[in-house]
Amino acid sequence: MLKVALVGCGKIADSHASLITKIDGCELVGVCDREELMARQLYERFPVRRYFSDLEKLLSETKPDVVHVTTPPQTHFEIARRCLESGCHVFVEKPFTLYAEESQALINLANSKGLKLTAGHDDQFSPVARRLRSTVQSGYLGGPPVHMESYFCYEIGTTYARALLGDSRHWVRRLPGKLLQNIISHGIARVAEFMVGDSPEVMACGFVSPFLKSLGEAEICDELRVVIRDERETTAYFTFSSQMRPSMHQFCIYGPENGLLLNQDHETLIRLRGARFKSYLEKFVPPVLFARQYFAGSLANMAAFLRRDLHMRSGMGYLIESFYRSITEDAPVPIPYREILLTARIMDSIFEQINRRPVALQPDLEFPSGVLVHHNSQV
Amino acid sequence: MESDKYIVGHDDILLVTGATGFIGTKVVENLLEQGFRRIRCFVRASSDPSKVEALRAMGHDGAQVEVFQGNLLMREDCRVAVRGASIIFHLAVGGGSRSFPDAFMNSVVTTRNLLEAVASSKSLKRFVNISSFAVYSNREKSRRRLLDETCPVEKEAALRSDAYCFAKVGQDEIVKEYCEKFGIPFVMVRPGYVYGPGHDAITSRVGIDTFGIFLHLGGSNSVPFTYVDNCAEAIVLAGLQKDGVDGEVFNVVDDDLPSSRQFLRLYKKNVTHFSSLYLPHFVSYTLCFLWEKYSVWSNGQLEPTFNRRKWHAVWKKTYYSNEKLKTRLGWTPKVPTAEGFRRYFAACRTVEERHA
Repeated sequence: MLKVALVGCGKIADSHASLITKIDGCELVGVCDREELMARQLYERFPVRRYFSDLEKLLSETKPDVVHVTTPPQTHFEIARRCLESGCHVFVEKPFTLYAEESQALINLANSKGLKLTAGHDDQFSPVARRLRSTVQSGYLGGPPVHMESYFCYEIGTTYARALLGDSRHWVRRLPGKLLQNIISHGIARVAEFMVGDSPEVMACGFVSPFLKSLGEAEICDELRVVIRDERETTAYFTFSSQMRPSMHQFCIYGPENGLLLNQDHETLIRLRGARFKSYLEKFVPPVLFARQYFAGSLANMAAFLRRDLHMRSGMGYLIESFYRSITEDAPVPIPYREILLTARIMDSIFEQINRRPVALQPDLEFPSGVLVHHNSQV
Repeated sequence: MESDKYIVGHDDILLVTGATGFIGTKVVENLLEQGFRRIRCFVRASSDPSKVEALRAMGHDGAQVEVFQGNLLMREDCRVAVRGASIIFHLAVGGGSRSFPDAFMNSVVTTRNLLEAVASSKSLKRFVNISSFAVYSNREKSRRRLLDETCPVEKEAALRSDAYCFAKVGQDEIVKEYCEKFGIPFVMVRPGYVYGPGHDAITSRVGIDTFGIFLHLGGSNSVPFTYVDNCAEAIVLAGLQKDGVDGEVFNVVDDDLPSSRQFLRLYKKNVTHFSSLYLPHFVSYTLCFLWEKYSVWSNGQLEPTFNRRKWHAVWKKTYYSNEKLKTRLGWTPKVPTAEGFRRYFAACRTVEERHA
């Protein structure tokens, strides 16, 4: 029986607790939050053996095999380090740490102790993301990826915006990448999975949307555009937007022969055929082929729903189960450490650029108002 | 109201949390009308600046409305805010979150922080906790159809799959626990559905539009409406009344409550017409039962949002009483239901026209 503990009993902890308690062969032996009431409310709603407000007590009294860290990002590194030192495998929610150096330090510590780590990049394990991975591995792209486009959007409503903007002590403000740091990991990790090397070139442009400006915000970037290029010359665009509609969670990957289009919200994977039809057929046939793929995708989703296999958090469930299997069966971790590190490095570079003063524009090169241009930098 | 019946003087500090909210603003207004001159309003730092300004502007003729912008999750903010307060009207709620931890944190943890802050206070004479009808289970009552202050509260609130209910039950529990522990006099006020201009939604006790068409679920049920001014009056009275109210619970509903069907007819006639489909009680109960079972069978593919506990609490045929409120606090609804609806529908029409 795998003994699991959970540290941090906020919103995302509910998803973890709900999934952990459904996995055969494991038991939630304890939950912990610095605010005891929060630990208690989770304990009261899920089958959990005990609750704590002190991490040391949780570790010493329940002796968990695995600890899930679901606290605010500022605390991830210290808590994960302490858990590793206590001999626990650790699942750290996204963002893994605040800085790549911290990620590296955790990985080094885990390796030195023969323990395992993973990051909460669960979008990469949704059924459609797994289909994309296996299609790429089957060689459908016709070679290494040439280019990728990752959209990760977030609708920032007036209530949340006011809560964030009106509170100068809000923990999101204290993150190096502020709002972006708490959200963009999923979209960056998708790109990192298909990149090589560990020092891609990153060019980032971040700015405050007119919406947030209208509410008096001048500091928190809620719009981000990034260009990434790795050592193999594979490139990627990453887009984060709080304002564009539809608010997409989409990933495209193009190879030398074909491409793939993943839509996380619709749970569809569309094959983008590289070969062209002759003459006017190119205008008649591909739309029909696309329609057929979308229709098949809809049917597949309905079938999955009827099979009781279309859960909103299935990606997280799969990731947790894979991580546990990697522990119990000594199998490889579900997310290679290289990917975790690369994601952290790309994010570091983005935040370093958007926190830097913008380059002064030449009058004849002026961009539309509200757009800031930044230096590019090598990770 | 006569001032010799009050537990505080007109120059004592009265703290109102959630003062920019729908009910909070009316509570402040009511207190000023009663002649109280030192009202301290605890509002979120993120509150709408126009509402904060409106609060400040309420102070006149020697009456002070002090606005304290802070966060109830911060113990230090609570300590500063409660300093010297004689009555605390605790109206702040997490509001709107479907997440259990968020709702809990913004109701229970915040309330605990306030109570800890007043634990050693010598000035506090009463803590008025604003609870909700949502805490009643509406099952296993002694008098089958009547819901009053003696009815049982939901014991396993999480099973209703309603974060607001869970948080409010937790809030009531912590108020009782801390008030008993520290000897803080308290009163619980449980309003029914508070309506009025500025709150244009139709209560789910009447029906829901989750599935694209408005499902009318209330039928012939009474709806526990209370007009916002009447509710504010009841809250103020519960805070001020001198004798025999400490430790008591007061439900707040108006007189002449319409049935769900009557309300819907009036709404359609006075605000906007829309299609609705009536589901008799046995149908809504069966659907809730099936939804609940499907949620378990499908291993949570659908959350048990609709379930039998919810049906009992919201859609079961029930009558309501305001007798205790009238006899113990001398409350009467100043705004009759017909007038309340007239004002409410007029405000809803304005919102509709703006959307159009």
